Amino acid sequence: MFWGTRKKQIVNVWYSVNGERLGTYTGHTGAVWCVDADWDTKHVLTGSADNSCRLWDCETGKQLALLKTNSAVRTCGFDFGGNIIMFSTDKQMGYQCFVSFFDLRDPSQIDSNEPYMKIPCNADAKITSAVWGPLGECIIAGHENGELNQYSAKSGEVMVNVKEHSRQINDIQTSRDMTMFVTASKDNTAKLFDSTTLEHQKTFRTERPVNSAALSPIYDHVVLGGGQEAMDVTTTSTRIGKFEARFFHIAFEEEFGRVKGHFGPINSVAFHPDGKSYSSGGEDGYVRIHYFDPQYFEFEFEA
Amino acid sequence: MQDAENVAVPEAAEQRPEPEQQAAEEEPERPAGPRVQEAAAAASVLVPEEKGGKVAAAVTVAKSGLEPEALVKTPAEEKASGEPTSVESPPSSSSSPGEPQPEKILEPKAESLAAKEEKREEKEKAEDGGGKEEEEEKEEAGGEKKDQGKEGEAEPKRLENGNEEDEISFSDPEGFVDDISEEELLGDILKDRPQEADGIDSVIVVDNVPQVGPDRLEKLKNVIHKIFSKFGKITNDYYPEEDGKTKGYIFLEYVSPAHALDAVKNADGYKLDKQHTFRVNLFTDFDKYMTISDEWDIPEKQPFKDLGNLRYWLEEAECRDQYSVIFESGDRTSIFWNDVKDPVSIEERARWTETYVRWSPKGTYLATFHQRGIALWGGEKFKQIQRFSHQGVQLIDFSPCERYLVTFSPLMDTQDDPQAIIIWDILTGQKKRGFHCESSAHWPIFKWSHDGKFFARMTMDTLSIYETPSMGLLDKKSLKIPGIKDFSWSPGGNIIAFWVPEDKDIPARVTLMQLPTRQEIRVRNLFNVVDCKLHWQKNGDYLCVKVDRTPKGTQGVVTNFEIFRMREKQVPVDVVEMKESIIAFAWEPNGSKFAVLHGEAPRISVSFYHVKNNGKIELIKMFDKQQANTIFWSPQGQFVVLAGLRSMNGALAFVDTSDCTMMNIAEHYMASDVEWDPTGRYVVTSVSWWSHKVDNAYWLWTFQGRLLQKNNKDRFCQLLWRPRPPTLLSQDQIKQIKKDLKRYSKIFEQKDRLSQSKASKELVERRRTMMEDFRKYRKMAQELYMEQKNERLELRGGVDTDELDSNVDDWEEETIEFFVTEEIIPLGNQE
Repeated sequence: MFWGTRKKQIVNVWYSVNGERLGTYTGHTGAVWCVDADWDTKHVLTGSADNSCRLWDCETGKQLALLKTNSAVRTCGFDFGGNIIMFSTDKQMGYQCFVSFFDLRDPSQIDSNEPYMKIPCNADAKITSAVWGPLGECIIAGHENGELNQYSAKSGEVMVNVKEHSRQINDIQTSRDMTMFVTASKDNTAKLFDSTTLEHQKTFRTERPVNSAALSPIYDHVVLGGGQEAMDVTTTSTRIGKFEARFFHIAFEEEFGRVKGHFGPINSVAFHPDGKSYSSGGEDGYVRIHYFDPQYFEFEFEA
Repeated sequence: MQDAENVAVPEAAEQRPEPEQQAAEEEPERPAGPRVQEAAAAASVLVPEEKGGKVAAAVTVAKSGLEPEALVKTPAEEKASGEPTSVESPPSSSSSPGEPQPEKILEPKAESLAAKEEKREEKEKAEDGGGKEEEEEKEEAGGEKKDQGKEGEAEPKRLENGNEEDEISFSDPEGFVDDISEEELLGDILKDRPQEADGIDSVIVVDNVPQVGPDRLEKLKNVIHKIFSKFGKITNDYYPEEDGKTKGYIFLEYVSPAHALDAVKNADGYKLDKQHTFRVNLFTDFDKYMTISDEWDIPEKQPFKDLGNLRYWLEEAECRDQYSVIFESGDRTSIFWNDVKDPVSIEERARWTETYVRWSPKGTYLATFHQRGIALWGGEKFKQIQRFSHQGVQLIDFSPCERYLVTFSPLMDTQDDPQAIIIWDILTGQKKRGFHCESSAHWPIFKWSHDGKFFARMTMDTLSIYETPSMGLLDKKSLKIPGIKDFSWSPGGNIIAFWVPEDKDIPARVTLMQLPTRQEIRVRNLFNVVDCKLHWQKNGDYLCVKVDRTPKGTQGVVTNFEIFRMREKQVPVDVVEMKESIIAFAWEPNGSKFAVLHGEAPRISVSFYHVKNNGKIELIKMFDKQQANTIFWSPQGQFVVLAGLRSMNGALAFVDTSDCTMMNIAEHYMASDVEWDPTGRYVVTSVSWWSHKVDNAYWLWTFQGRLLQKNNKDRFCQLLWRPRPPTLLSQDQIKQIKKDLKRYSKIFEQKDRLSQSKASKELVERRRTMMEDFRKYRKMAQELYMEQKNERLELRGGVDTDELDSNVDDWEEETIEFFVTEEIIPLGNQE
């Protein structure tokens, strides 16, 4: 099962086996920027440009909570235990960029729309992507200027700050065990960091902005998706748009494979939890699910 | 006297007396050529006469309080032992200027001494007085300015505490020091302020004037007046006479020194008739020439600056070539060794150049462009070797011999000081000559002969050929060629080819002219010509003139190639008629073949022709349906790359013209440039950020069209190979090497194998260490992860989610049926 957001107003759930649509979560009145489910898939959290963040019952599609915000919700997520939710809002209409934390175990917070903590973030570089760190102790946020910050989920203070990317960080995804994470940046690279220390480990270079990167749960592989920015696409031929999903070896930083198919930039990539397939969603309006063929599992680098 | 007037006239301000005179004094190493001597002689005559009056004027202006006589007397007294005539002359001249002193010219030496003495003294006086007055003036202006400065200071202050105080205070804060010079504040106005000048500056001396008797004097005066009043109002003239005839030189005085300067600039060299060419000099210039000491001083020896071996790169063991790369939209410039595996960086600098770079033709120097001028770099560490200050420089050109540099700037060209184009001596960094230039549309404006001995420029109906090192016009005159449209030097000899279009009944013609003799070695008449293009073969063996014609009775343009065989007697010409329109033409650099792209898109063909020894021109091969708009021959000949640049999406075809085979067809999407390395071993295709904003990269190919490297550089702009000087090997030696090629190639192959296995070993080794490091890191992370297991269990209510199947027991089986259609997509690039 997976969720698809399409910069539209509806969130769809599909079967990943054959692409049959299972259901929708309707209610948002603006583009949905982010979706997350808690670990036991009871709840789904969505954030939208309609200045709201909504909590849904996963199975029934019923809206459980509506959290109004002052500006568009860019990122959202459940913590490890599924009890605390976090979302970040855009710097927009005179409002600063904030990260808000709600504890779902305390209904009064939701009823009053009062987060137990609200972290303002530095004025000139809003948060463009964020995930929970291991054990729900912190969140890791990527900024418009390429900075990475680790905010404590308890005190809200910045625990670690690094700047390895020169441009906007479009996506952050953790490894399955959450010990490391990979960032995808507009500066044409994806980078691997340690979740606890935020130490930079590896760099994967391409010649296009990277919109999304994911780590394989079973191999030392990374998949990168990206391509020409949507606004530049018309000025270049589709042949060179390079809307390909690209596979890198995590340790060697070497590319070993590419998958074509999209005819617009790839906005998001994700591995299936079993590592035998991956999906990619593109600006072209398609979500593609690819199963790896046997050679993929046999392939090994000479080392 | 009119001299006093001079001082008051505001126009005189343009010429400041002191710097002028100082400059004159500071010019001792000027060679005393015949002209100078002549001038000195003339000066010696006129000094006492005209000067007397001037001295008086200068003194009154300077308010020195000295009587004119006192001044004039001094030299006279000093010279008491000298010739009696010369003693008398100063007073006589002061009392009645305009009386000729015929004797003086006979004793120029004695006189010149006297004149010198006198002038120096007078100058000192003038300077003293003038200086004082100016100081006073400065003080005054300074006082005023100080007030202004205060105002300026007060302004921001008011803004700060504007709320409290409404009253504006113009007073300076205590301890305020005015550190702004008045030039800075109102330099533009100060420039125009009236300045004193003694009348000497407005006087010119004209030599080579016809000698006439009193009967024709009036007529001469009329003629002279007509010529010289063009430059300004003449207030005084004087025609010295001897034996009833004028002496052939005259003095004219203008209202202002600017007019005098103008006259010198424009009337010098004026041809009155066959025998009389005017030489016009400033009267004050005689001063300059007279201060030159008779003794020749040996110029001081300049210390030798060791720049190291500027050609070190040619000694590289692997015979690799260098190239320069500009990237990050021009912010960074790098020099690389070209290597088959990966380019090896030699030097990388931020903001090395402000626009682009150029290599000198033999590769010795790298030129960088800056707002203030050009800098040359070279040697092993790319140290700065020379600088040429030319504000706003945009274009440059090296002479083929690397001795001279031509720079062009659209800024700062003034009427009297040409500096749109400047020619520099590269070794000394000195400016050799400046030229005017209205437009840089057809750069290079100056075209150099192959050996750098001559350079030529075309203007309306004129071809001007200059020679080095004097930078003067060859034979002192330009060639009048009415209607000249284009010209070009032979790269193999001092021959100029130019063409002139049809003019009424005279046919169009292409002329080949030998230089410096100016002998026309071949003239070819052509009819119904629309346009001609001159293409020289690189060695100068052949000239191809591409002639576009509209034959009578037909519509449309027909193109002919007129092939001149330069190495044969009387330069025979053969014609190749082309039926289609021509897109591109290029000679094989070291051979006798040429390639032509013709047709209309999308039906473009390429044809290869061969010029045989007997003059027959043979079509060797034609390929049709080509995607190309440019021809790039290997610098060694034989191989050629046909490229469809820019609008043709970067299609590439690699052709071997010895047997005319297509070696490879490839594409570098949106390629904007193709550059052969100087040895013809590699080709680089590139997409420059200047022409296309994405995928900026340069790709390295072998001459056969095998892709070796793709080098992506962020906002890559330009790649230029470092040129090599011509080979020192003789033809025989080259032949021998070609004969032994097999033997060499064995050695090289072995070397390649070695380096390849070494490379793959290195790669594997590198991967291994990377893997080890990564494993180590992962192990640490895993350990931490395991330590936190309990916390995780706690957070998720005791459910272990670490493994996908860690709680299989809880699973409920559910069967859902799906209709699945499978599409298999082969993976690209999978190794």
